[in-house]
Amino acid sequence: VRLCQGCHGEYRRLLALYGSIARAIGNSSESHNCAKSILTSDRLQIVVTLSEFFNETWEAANCANCLKNNSEGLSNSTEEFLDLFNKSLTCFEHNLQGQTVYLSPNNYTEVCKNCNETYTKLNDLYNNLQRMNRQGGESGHSAHLCIDVEDAMNITRKLWSRTFNCSLPCSDTVPVIAVSSFILFLPIVFYLSSFLHSKQKKRILILPKRIQSNASLVNIQEKYS
Amino acid sequence: QLTPSSFLRIGQLSNVDLNEDVHELQTEIPRQRPNEIPHNEKLLSLKYESLDYDNSENQLFLEEERRINHAAFRTVEIKRWVICAMIGILTGLVACFIDIVVENLAGLKYRVVKDNIDKFTAKGGLSFSLLLWATLNASVVMVGSVIVAFIEPVAAGSGIPQIKCYLNGVKIPHVVRLKTLVIKVCGVILSVVGGLAVGKEGPMIHSGAVIAAGISQGRSTSLKRDFKIFEYFRRDTEKRDFVSAGAAAGVSAAFGAPVGGVLFSLEEGASFWNQFLTWRIFFASMISTFTLNSVLSVYHGNAWDLSSPGLINFGRFDSEKMGYTIQEIPIFIFMGVVGGILGALFNALNYWLTMFRIRYIHRPCLQVVEAMLVAAVTATVGFVMIYCSRDCQPIQGSSVAYPLQLFCADGEYNSMATAFFNTPEKSVVNLFHDPPGSYNPMTLGMFTLMYFFLACWTYGLTVSAGVFIPSLLIGAAWGRLFGISLSYLTKGSIWADPGKYALMGAAAQLGGIVRMTLSLTVIMMEATGNVTYGFPIMLVLMTAKIVGDYFVEGLYDMHIQLQSVPFLHWEAPVTSHSLTAREVMSTPVTCLRRIERVGTVVDILSDTSSNHNGFPVVESNPDTTQVAGLRGLILRSQLIVLLKHKVFVERANLSLVQRRLKLKDFRDAYPRFPPIQSIHVSQDERECMIDLSEFMNPSPYTVPQEASLPRVFKLFRALGLRHLVVVDNRNEVVGMVTRKDLARYRLGKEGLEELSLAQT
Repeated sequence: VRLCQGCHGEYRRLLALYGSIARAIGNSSESHNCAKSILTSDRLQIVVTLSEFFNETWEAANCANCLKNNSEGLSNSTEEFLDLFNKSLTCFEHNLQGQTVYLSPNNYTEVCKNCNETYTKLNDLYNNLQRMNRQGGESGHSAHLCIDVEDAMNITRKLWSRTFNCSLPCSDTVPVIAVSSFILFLPIVFYLSSFLHSKQKKRILILPKRIQSNASLVNIQEKYS
Repeated sequence: QLTPSSFLRIGQLSNVDLNEDVHELQTEIPRQRPNEIPHNEKLLSLKYESLDYDNSENQLFLEEERRINHAAFRTVEIKRWVICAMIGILTGLVACFIDIVVENLAGLKYRVVKDNIDKFTAKGGLSFSLLLWATLNASVVMVGSVIVAFIEPVAAGSGIPQIKCYLNGVKIPHVVRLKTLVIKVCGVILSVVGGLAVGKEGPMIHSGAVIAAGISQGRSTSLKRDFKIFEYFRRDTEKRDFVSAGAAAGVSAAFGAPVGGVLFSLEEGASFWNQFLTWRIFFASMISTFTLNSVLSVYHGNAWDLSSPGLINFGRFDSEKMGYTIQEIPIFIFMGVVGGILGALFNALNYWLTMFRIRYIHRPCLQVVEAMLVAAVTATVGFVMIYCSRDCQPIQGSSVAYPLQLFCADGEYNSMATAFFNTPEKSVVNLFHDPPGSYNPMTLGMFTLMYFFLACWTYGLTVSAGVFIPSLLIGAAWGRLFGISLSYLTKGSIWADPGKYALMGAAAQLGGIVRMTLSLTVIMMEATGNVTYGFPIMLVLMTAKIVGDYFVEGLYDMHIQLQSVPFLHWEAPVTSHSLTAREVMSTPVTCLRRIERVGTVVDILSDTSSNHNGFPVVESNPDTTQVAGLRGLILRSQLIVLLKHKVFVERANLSLVQRRLKLKDFRDAYPRFPPIQSIHVSQDERECMIDLSEFMNPSPYTVPQEASLPRVFKLFRALGLRHLVVVDNRNEVVGMVTRKDLARYRLGKEGLEELSLAQT
């Protein structure tokens, strides 16, 4: 996806044109008719609908995030990121050159070793950008970076983790099992020891003063004699 | 003559039908009465007294009424409204405090653990992370448990059973003290931050009640400060009414459900009700939720957003996106049945666990150790589940605050971690509103199973914690599973939106566990913000209650029974019409004469073998062979005030008493009356006479001996009495009926049962 990089010029011109059409409604009656005929001439109101679509897509892609303030070019951080991204891709290609397409996919160790540094730098830069974006724009701004940057990172990550399988291995299962079974065993010990050692709480019955209390006592005796 | 005792005989076997001590009983009976048994749920404790809801209309009261003119009574009415407003505001503020502190502390803990896990994932040595998490949990819960176990044990649990008893009229010791409030608030914060499977909504109800009891008295006995306002309300009658308002304000702050709160108080204290009280309680609830809403909105940065009316917010349930059709009603009813069965299972497991705890784990140190172990095991279970789960999913927006990557690919996060590493409230909301396909059924199933047993184990520990949120979470999880499997079975029909089924599952599970009907329906309806969901929720709750009641009781009722509280239900047991007041009453009764010797009074009050609190006053008769007629009723608390101020006949004659005793003196001594041991009466004073005519209640309620048990019960319960005198046809006192005499009779599995009294 290279939406923001490729289209920011055209989009700016589109915005300006649409703005001048829409603004003309309030002026003299001639331009009013002209604007009306363009915007409301058909049932679909195709100009308005399309313009809304473009605006929404631009906002959702959050292209404003990676363009300069006056929207005339990519910002410095974005340029830096894309530069690093290209470097990573070249590194991948370079390390894969010596292999044919039909080779088994398990032989990516070279790629993992050589390109690890570049990839880590790219990842850190991306995380930094994300953190700055979250801190900078709390209210009103979207929490995402622009779609070009996100997509580039996504591609790289998919390549790194899925295709090349350079992710972290699953380590130290044994200590985890040991520690967790120890902790899970503690309550059993606790309950058993309190069952065996604690004195059971007894309740002292109180016989109330009532008429016919003898009758109830006789009932108990009858049952157990 | 045989027929009443035959009813008793049916139920007698449950009293002594105990495992270990039966053989001892057989040998003991010829020698002495059986007197020591292990604790079971068929006992009533002697330490619980009733509240004095009935007004004592003695001469002093009539004087005060003559003194206060008509306008002053209107001031009293306005003061009541002011007090209710203050109750609402303070309850809302306390709820805000709990919410904000929990958010910050829990966020801190999760950040620390997450950083540690991320660090150790790369390097290896994840067992250290496990140890860190378990230790953090255990230490926080240790602090929370220590303050409850050693300082104020009545603050343990959710507080709803205690408030239910208070609204029923039982005076549970220390339940509405300031110390209890402080311990409860700190305890609930520490329990939630400590990662236990608990919620913070139940303790809000208890806190609201304590705030109400405190404000309405206009003074603090613990802090020894008297603000000299609201003196008219220093009575059990007024205090109980304000506590109802406080409980409603607590429910309203917890769930954002003001009407639900009013109905909760109504359901619990139904007999003593009137329209003005309902209006004031509604006022307090509304103010409480409004205060919470505005303060939280200001805290989150968008003032007047007013989007968090309660501590838990279920999110918007739109009828267009999540409607239901009439074909789904039978499915909901089936979910209600499942919820009832699961709820009964939960209650049964918790019953055995609580019985074990009461019998064997009764020392405070052991209780603290148990709480720490549960916290550590909760952390371990969570960690092991996250570790073993291979389910990775890309993160959806910002719905997860602390995503754990663990062994997933970059950009994806462990989905078991989103369930375990989140506060339960957020997990519930996510289960309701996440789009279909966000949850892996296997993950969800394992999570439900583990959480069910954890929640069952955790309830009943000596920590302040509620059970609403865990049950909602369990129900939402299996409800969502149900919805997912339903859409799988029908090959992706549109109407099987899993979020809707999660809601119904949550309602079913909660209804199956707590068995509250009317108030819970309205609470859920208000929390979802959609009235159309009221009908299926009501059906689900009714089904869950019917199915669950067939097996075992509701959780709160069960705990009330296990604590041996003399709780009076709404009506007397249905088959008890042949029992009369003569069999129910306690006899003989300790009576006082209208003009009695001080020495006799002191001896009667100091008698430790029987802790009476109300004494019928009979006519002073020089001929003591004949029992005199009933003239009135006087309470222990009134006698103590009289003895303290030395209101003796001889002193009045000698004009030694500076001023006459007024009702204010009785109100000042309320509620902690000094014990009789602290009143010193010299030998000479013991020979003086004391005249009870002015201070006794001249018109106590009485019943004839032949009145049936349901009749006596209805009178007692509807009027909130503490003592009911049984007289014969010559108006002579033959016996006295108190709460313990009536609460003895219960409808058990085989018919009418009689519980025995025990010293606890």
